[in-house]
Amino acid sequence: MMLLQLDALMTALLIALFLLLLTTLLPWLISVTSSKSKVVKEELVELVGCPKCGYESSRKYEKGDYVGKVVGTCPKDSNSLIVKAIYVEKHTYAQ
Amino acid sequence: MNGGSEIASYLIVLLFLVSLLMNFTDIPQRIQLHRFSSFVRRKLYTLEEMEVDARRKAIAYMSSTGIKEPSKVLEGFMDNFFLIRPVDMEPTDIIKRFKHLIRVRESSVRDYVRRVLSGAERSVQYSVETVLEIVSVMRLLNKLIRHYLELGLKYNNWILVMQLAIQMPELVEIAKAYRNSLDAFTSGIPIGDSVGPLVAKMLVNWKEPIREISEGTDLYETEVEGRKVYVIKASGPGSNVGWPGEALEKLVEELGGAIDRIITVDAALKLESEESGEVAFGTGAAIGDIGPEKIAMERIASKYSIPLDAVVVKMSEVEALSPLTKKIYEGVVRSYEVVRKIIIEKVRDGGVAVVVGVGNTVGVK
Ligand SMILES: [Zn+2]
Repeated sequence: MMLLQLDALMTALLIALFLLLLTTLLPWLISVTSSKSKVVKEELVELVGCPKCGYESSRKYEKGDYVGKVVGTCPKDSNSLIVKAIYVEKHTYAQ
Repeated sequence: MNGGSEIASYLIVLLFLVSLLMNFTDIPQRIQLHRFSSFVRRKLYTLEEMEVDARRKAIAYMSSTGIKEPSKVLEGFMDNFFLIRPVDMEPTDIIKRFKHLIRVRESSVRDYVRRVLSGAERSVQYSVETVLEIVSVMRLLNKLIRHYLELGLKYNNWILVMQLAIQMPELVEIAKAYRNSLDAFTSGIPIGDSVGPLVAKMLVNWKEPIREISEGTDLYETEVEGRKVYVIKASGPGSNVGWPGEALEKLVEELGGAIDRIITVDAALKLESEESGEVAFGTGAAIGDIGPEKIAMERIASKYSIPLDAVVVKMSEVEALSPLTKKIYEGVVRSYEVVRKIIIEKVRDGGVAVVVGVGNTVGVK
């Protein structure tokens, strides 16, 4: 009878200890199980176009370029080709 | 009684005592104070590393523009050039006073940079000014965080330290945005805040301006389906916001108020539930100014009772400072269409409209 009582007490204490440990470790456990590693690749892209005929194409950003800069001639009607926009394109790959 | 149950009863007494200590003393708060302060310290360490990194980038950029002793220039700028807000207890002519102080500060910063940057292009000069401002903002942020941390520890104000700890992740994000914006400013790439100038440039079909209407602010002229459209934006491609309010005021006065509609385009802070790049329109002056430029727009519009429209592209604070993303660029295209639609639907054929592209024009000529 005494032995049974002791066991119940010890078990209660053990359970309490276990719960305490669980609550302190929970944030870490969640972060470990839920993080899906993704690779994000960022690339600077610029949109070049012809304001006259509407020709547009995108290419890699070149250092020193800015929106409104003349970067060549239009392949369609040989007007000046200008940078219309510069932005970051994100590519995500699941690992 | 056997030994086991004795241990158990000791444990129960211990548990009881511990619960007493935890519930009826301020020991838990002390423990929390310690935990939160060490958390803040760790984050502050990252922030200070970021500041060092930003400093390094700024110095590298400044020496590439031909500034001698760039670290001395940086040190001379930081902690100086503060602006004391005018008295607002007596608000008479507060805008005039505020505008005056802002202009004086701006011109003294300009003089400071001009002195060390002999004979460089204006866009380079603007960019150097912005780089200096960014590094000093990062320094100020770190100083403020350290101030509240030390204050909290000094007076055992655990609520203050806890509040600081809770805000830390947000502050780290903002500091990161500032550091990343340095890359954009030094290499001349448009940022999220550049959506206004980008829409303006799209509207004029990437033409050259007809003249400079205010210091660092350009005026363009174009036509949209038979409506004459004046477009105002800051002069690029250096980092510059210009004086859009003053420019609008001048233009409207020059035309004698013969304008059918004014449309302002700017970036706006999104709510967490909103998507980046969402476009919305409404009424008023879309400009994130501390006062003078915004009130100039409102005053001139109401003086001649010209309808004032606002078109905004939504983004987070971090996105506004970081290089333009594709999502926000799509927002630029959408807001361009919204502006065109407003002009066609709400301005009579042969009428005159003014579009103001508000924001930093870095990377947009
Ligand atoms: Zn073409």
